[in-house]
Amino acid sequence: MKKNIYFIAILVTLLVQMTSTFAQDKVAKLSFKFEKVDTNNVCNVSATSDGLPVKGVNINLFVKRMLSDLEIASVATEENGIASFVFPKDIPSIDGNLSLIARITDDDNYKNTEVTGDVNWGTLVVSDNCNVNERAISAARDKAPIYLIATSIFIISIVWGTLLWAVLQVFKIKRVRNSAR
Amino acid sequence: MSKETIKKESTQYETFTQEEYMIMKDDLLRPMRKIRLGGKIWIAFLVLVCCAGVYAYYIQETKSKYVTVSLRDITFWGVYISNFVFFVALSLVGVLMSAVLKLTNFEWYRPLSRIAEIIAVAAIMLAGVSIVAAMGRPDRLHYLIIHGRIQSPIVWDIIVIMTYLATSLVLLYIPLIPSLSTCKNHLTNLPKWQLKMYKFLSFGWEGTTEQWKILKRTVKVLTVLVIPLGISIHTVTAWLFATTLRAEWDSANLGAYFVSGAFLLGVSAMILAVYTFRRAYHLEKYLTEMHFDKLGKVLVLMALIYGYFNINEFLVPAYKMSGLVSDKLKNLFNGEEAMFFWSVLLFGIILPAILPLFKQMRKPLPLTLLSLGVFIAGWFKRYLIVIPGQADPYLPIQNVPESWKHYSPSMVEWTIVAASFAAMMLIVTLFSKYFPIISVWEVAEGRLEGKEEIINYK
Repeated sequence: MKKNIYFIAILVTLLVQMTSTFAQDKVAKLSFKFEKVDTNNVCNVSATSDGLPVKGVNINLFVKRMLSDLEIASVATEENGIASFVFPKDIPSIDGNLSLIARITDDDNYKNTEVTGDVNWGTLVVSDNCNVNERAISAARDKAPIYLIATSIFIISIVWGTLLWAVLQVFKIKRVRNSAR
Repeated sequence: MSKETIKKESTQYETFTQEEYMIMKDDLLRPMRKIRLGGKIWIAFLVLVCCAGVYAYYIQETKSKYVTVSLRDITFWGVYISNFVFFVALSLVGVLMSAVLKLTNFEWYRPLSRIAEIIAVAAIMLAGVSIVAAMGRPDRLHYLIIHGRIQSPIVWDIIVIMTYLATSLVLLYIPLIPSLSTCKNHLTNLPKWQLKMYKFLSFGWEGTTEQWKILKRTVKVLTVLVIPLGISIHTVTAWLFATTLRAEWDSANLGAYFVSGAFLLGVSAMILAVYTFRRAYHLEKYLTEMHFDKLGKVLVLMALIYGYFNINEFLVPAYKMSGLVSDKLKNLFNGEEAMFFWSVLLFGIILPAILPLFKQMRKPLPLTLLSLGVFIAGWFKRYLIVIPGQADPYLPIQNVPESWKHYSPSMVEWTIVAASFAAMMLIVTLFSKYFPIISVWEVAEGRLEGKEEIINYK
């Protein structure tokens, strides 16, 4: 009897192990749906698996930026498999377009997955380039502030001028010897 | 200087005679007559280490730097840059031990000035080499001149390093002219090329009154010039850090902190050099216990000044413990780096501020051992300034391998650093073999005060 209990215990452990090991094998499919609710921009991310909605899975929404992805929020899917994000209105963009990424990461049941989509919700960065030609510390080489160029030239001239004078003195030492003869 | 001391010293000058001058000239030129076996072994060893460094640099530049050095996106300035800061600091020895003492009429500077100036020249050259070793693309070095922006502290640093090197070279050379003439006239058994070199470099020096007048005036002007230049070079080096976006370097104190540390390091290097030359070339009559006594007192003064700037640098941020630096400070005070940090402070500031107050500790050997501690701690102090400061960038870098967050120099980096030290010592050693390491005329002049009859030192 004791032997059977051990056998059953090992079997149960193996089954639990197998279940947990293969639990993450489930694949969820994500898709975007963008809509306008009142004055808000709402991004709905729908998660389905084998055609059925996936409930209670955390979805992280990001906006692609130059150096890394900017996280907007993390929302769990509801009964219908949809996670809704009220999208902020102040994300800057050069042409108004933003690349969004929705991700499932480190979920107990579903594999890591992501979907990307473009939407025209960015705040346009408008620059009239009015300061491009201004001289500044942060400007390009040929737009250095005049005071900085003038001060640098003044100091460099004084120091190197003195050095040049010192070198000329060495030649003068020789000349003095010759004229003494 | 008290009246009694002045009287005592002036009495001493009056006892100086032409015969004594001839003996002194013999003594000071003796190291140049022949390179002994010990000297040859020492030079061979230094050349070997330099060759190892050249080979390591070849490996670094031919294989991927990702493999050969430990620098990554987070710690982008490693041991090469801390070595650069160390050498720049060391180069200020010429300012303190030659220029400042000379202008403030401290007579005891005389036998030390040339030693200080050659160390300064060698150190600033090796500082430049350390920068090139650190460059990702050394083949683009000239871009700094072609495309450099005058608004950039890196360009300021390049300008000030080049200027300081040129000034140090001229300041080393001009007072050397009378000595070169002495070598040409006195060391007639040297190889012909060497005598020709002395003749060429001595620029027709005959020691006429007019020539002395020109030489002394030029040296005086350069001596005044080198002080603000030396302070500028290390202040600009400090600004390289202060203007870089890292919380630990955001300090208005950084320029003064770097300069005061450089003076302390310079005094320790001077003590080490004086002790070595005194023993190796038997110059006990010229590099006397009095020099160690004075240098010991300067060491205390500099350690106290540097200690003051350290308190400023650490106490205020530690009082506020702002989020950006608190982890770093805790790590230094009682964390992973605490042993390292406190050892550096103990050997680099606390001991040199206290021990030389006792006369026995200002004797040559104890003071040299103490200075060795200050010198080594000085190198690690620069390591602590440069490297841990980079661990926390303002812009977080995501998803990087764990190895990027910690920096430890690779063998290639250590070899190049060791070679830079060997190269510096090699320059100083070779200089002392081909040129008088103690300026004969400057020492003689110190003892000849009021002795117009011996004006022409031949």
